[in-house]
Amino acid sequence: MEIERELLSVVHQALLAIMILIIMFGMGASLTLKEFRLVLERPRGVLIGFLSQFGLMPLLAFGLAKLLDLPPALAVAIVLIGCLPGGSTSNMFAYFARGSVALSISMTAASTLMALFMMPLLLNFYAGGFAEQVAASAAAGGKDTTFVIPYLNIIYSLLLVLIPVGAGMILKKISPGWAKAAEDTASFMGIIVILFLMGAVIIRHGGLFLRTPATIYLASIGIGASGFLFGYGMSTLFRLPPRYSRTISLETGIQNGPIALAVILLSFTGPYLNQMLWLAILYSAFIVMTSSFITLFYRRIGTYDWEVYRNECVHRRLFGDDYVAPIPVQDAERHAE
Amino acid sequence: MGDTKQLDFSHLAGLYVWAAEQYGDMPAFGYRVDAKKWQPLTFAGLAERGRHLATGLIDLGLVERGHLGLFSDNRVEWILSDCATHFAGAANVPRGSDVTDKELAFILVHAGIRLAIVEDVTMEQRVHEIASEKELSVYTIVMEGEPKAKASCSMSAVEERGKRLLADGDQAVAQRMERLKPEHLFTLIYTSGTTGRPKGVMLTHANMVSQIRNIPLHLTWRDRVLSLLPVWHIYERVFEMITIHAGACTYYSNPRLLARDLLAVEPSFMGSAPRLWETLHDRILKNVAHSHPVRRGLFHIAHWLSRHYHRSLFYLKGYDYRTHPPVAWKRNLGCVWYGLCWFLLLPWYGFFNVAVLERIRQVAGGSMKATISGGGALPEHIDRFFNNMGITVLEGYGLTETSPVLAVRTLTHRVIGTVGPLIPETEIRIVDVDSGDILYPDAKDENAGRMRKGEIQVRGPQVMKGYYRDSTMTGMVLSEDGWFRTGDLGLINGNDCLKVLGRSKETIVLSSGENVEPGPIESLLRQSPLIDNCMVVGQDERHLGVLVVPAEDADETDPKPDTTISDEQLEAEVRQLISGENGFRPYERIRVLRKLPEPFEVGKEITNLFKLRRHVIEEKYRDLIDEMFNTQRK
Repeated sequence: MEIERELLSVVHQALLAIMILIIMFGMGASLTLKEFRLVLERPRGVLIGFLSQFGLMPLLAFGLAKLLDLPPALAVAIVLIGCLPGGSTSNMFAYFARGSVALSISMTAASTLMALFMMPLLLNFYAGGFAEQVAASAAAGGKDTTFVIPYLNIIYSLLLVLIPVGAGMILKKISPGWAKAAEDTASFMGIIVILFLMGAVIIRHGGLFLRTPATIYLASIGIGASGFLFGYGMSTLFRLPPRYSRTISLETGIQNGPIALAVILLSFTGPYLNQMLWLAILYSAFIVMTSSFITLFYRRIGTYDWEVYRNECVHRRLFGDDYVAPIPVQDAERHAE
Repeated sequence: MGDTKQLDFSHLAGLYVWAAEQYGDMPAFGYRVDAKKWQPLTFAGLAERGRHLATGLIDLGLVERGHLGLFSDNRVEWILSDCATHFAGAANVPRGSDVTDKELAFILVHAGIRLAIVEDVTMEQRVHEIASEKELSVYTIVMEGEPKAKASCSMSAVEERGKRLLADGDQAVAQRMERLKPEHLFTLIYTSGTTGRPKGVMLTHANMVSQIRNIPLHLTWRDRVLSLLPVWHIYERVFEMITIHAGACTYYSNPRLLARDLLAVEPSFMGSAPRLWETLHDRILKNVAHSHPVRRGLFHIAHWLSRHYHRSLFYLKGYDYRTHPPVAWKRNLGCVWYGLCWFLLLPWYGFFNVAVLERIRQVAGGSMKATISGGGALPEHIDRFFNNMGITVLEGYGLTETSPVLAVRTLTHRVIGTVGPLIPETEIRIVDVDSGDILYPDAKDENAGRMRKGEIQVRGPQVMKGYYRDSTMTGMVLSEDGWFRTGDLGLINGNDCLKVLGRSKETIVLSSGENVEPGPIESLLRQSPLIDNCMVVGQDERHLGVLVVPAEDADETDPKPDTTISDEQLEAEVRQLISGENGFRPYERIRVLRKLPEPFEVGKEITNLFKLRRHVIEEKYRDLIDEMFNTQRK
């Protein structure tokens, strides 16, 4: 799959940059410093979440690249997606999947900060080999382009992306009303940006959807789906309550797409940029669908434990923190598990 | 019917005992002790304290199958008193603090109340004042505060006494429960009559147990139910019984603290009245109007999407309002179209549902699975609004005389604009108001009698035993073969759901709540030489109006209304006749008048006994009536 023209025109790129700015600003507007402090109060959940996001997910991405035998540039892209921090859309999905929104926000906050040094580290570890392959094949083909992972650029672009997040947090402090509006706008923009990118690609490269090999589709769907699956499995192994498992599962699978786009645009150049960008766009589009389905599924299987949990919460709120209501006989077995 | 539950008890004392065994130390009722703190009462605790109280009440002279007054608003002592009543094999006569002295006096005398549990000292004083006036001997038990009267004591003292007696081996409660039968009364509810005196509705244990068995509401012990409507009303009471049976906890709130309690309790179910939804509707729209322009825009998009999404969804699920059972090919075509709409709207609706509507739903606590609205007609646009917002408001229908539920929309039968299908074990027929012919069911009609409008008559295990000591009134509403005349007009639609259309009785209820009997006003007006016939209207309006057929023109051979009589002449005549001097109250005065172009015809607007067929006239002159009141409003 060769993409002969620039995937996005300069105008498209500028529009995309504005949208990413709005999204990251809105993400910041939903956060306060308290969320970062709260991380310390639920260390177990966040720690397992961290293992899942930065331990499991890059490994899954690497495995998928090897399994599907992706071209090296795309392999680098999929590993890059695997190393991303969580986005604020996962908070919304966590809410609807009857998960823990607080944990989801904590994980988003923690992983966004951690990404500054975890991403270059993990990329070097998993994608270093792929990058050498790219360089080698380029040299063999007689091209004079070199391919190295621009670690410093990645850090710079991450920092750049974090500026609107910080600005959003400041706004939240100054005017909660405007912050709420920014948050809503951003969540709406999240959908718009995907449609915009798809539209732009269709207009400029109508046949690209057909020319894209199945393995790339598989990779872009598979990376999110396997994140959900293994994230859930791992937190269940660690015996976290089901609503934490659901949260971590979603948080693992849903990566911060806009950051991926920003990092790729700002750090890479040449023909590889287009391929990597295309993969990131496909991932962003498919993750909305897969996470909707998984959310509906979680919502259904989570009804029982969620109802029990809400009941406990209300009892504690009204009757005092140490109030524990017994479970009726007919349900005792279910709780003994 | 798959919706019927299997029950292990046949009377309410059995329910309380069964629930205590089944649910033990789980919370049955939550009640406020101060602004933020609540206290639970467990199922076991409820039955235990109920037993103490019952023993104490028997000791105070509560006779078997006697009538115990229960004058209190919603609070945990109410349910304790209810439990104790049944344990003592008696029936209670409940009313809230809003009962008037006149009604209270009537109830005390008519029900023969000797023993009454009262909420506080104010109610205690009222009861004793009336008792001394009517020369009755009534002993009161006060729930809260130090009793003041001589023949009075506190509820805790009665519980204490009962507890000691039980410890000494008192067997009275056990013996009475042994002798309790399903056909015994569990309550005697006095409905505040619109005209004349209140009527005591006799409801039996079997009535209430049938409601627990048949109301298609599937609560579990994980639900939280908010109690808001007056508990002495049978409508709220049936939900309390269902909640006990489900093992869920009922939280006592009141209208003043509702907004706060919705957030604190996060109820998953509650019984509600249309007023509540109107208030919430206004509050939501006000919040939206005051919110940030971006959010306002998002709300309007979300509302538009949810409206169209739900219309498609409701069609696909068969909840669309139909007049006839569907024709297969049309239905299939419709399914294709709405299926396509649904599919196209789904992702957009899904997103806005998450981002915008979820926050709107927080006004109801955020955990509401469903609520049943009853006690009055829910305006259709409010009904639709909440169902589109994702708050499942189901409308039900019933009367105190039917304990009360006859029909209710269910989660699998949500046809908006109706009160749902009949509940199991309940039969219905629609009867022509004038001729008495059965319009539905009608095997001869191609639509089986659907969509025909008439009086709703029902038969089933929830129908009352009769009015207490009032066989004349009982005979008027209850036939020998068990059919009960509801006095409401309705029809069965193409979804086999009941639609209630109004009252068939003549009483006009003004928007102020005043009840007016049009009969006396009309018969006086008919005596005027200027007026041939007339009909008073004004249901739900602020004032009365009248439609007048002017007297016939004597000169014509073919009698026609006299066109020379002017509106001014008629208005002056009406004003003079319906006046304070003639004994009419201010709200009975007629403010607006319209002349009718043609006289009433026998067989059309009037029966062959010259009685007005009010609904026919109202329908025929609908536009004229609307115009009359609209002009008045301006």
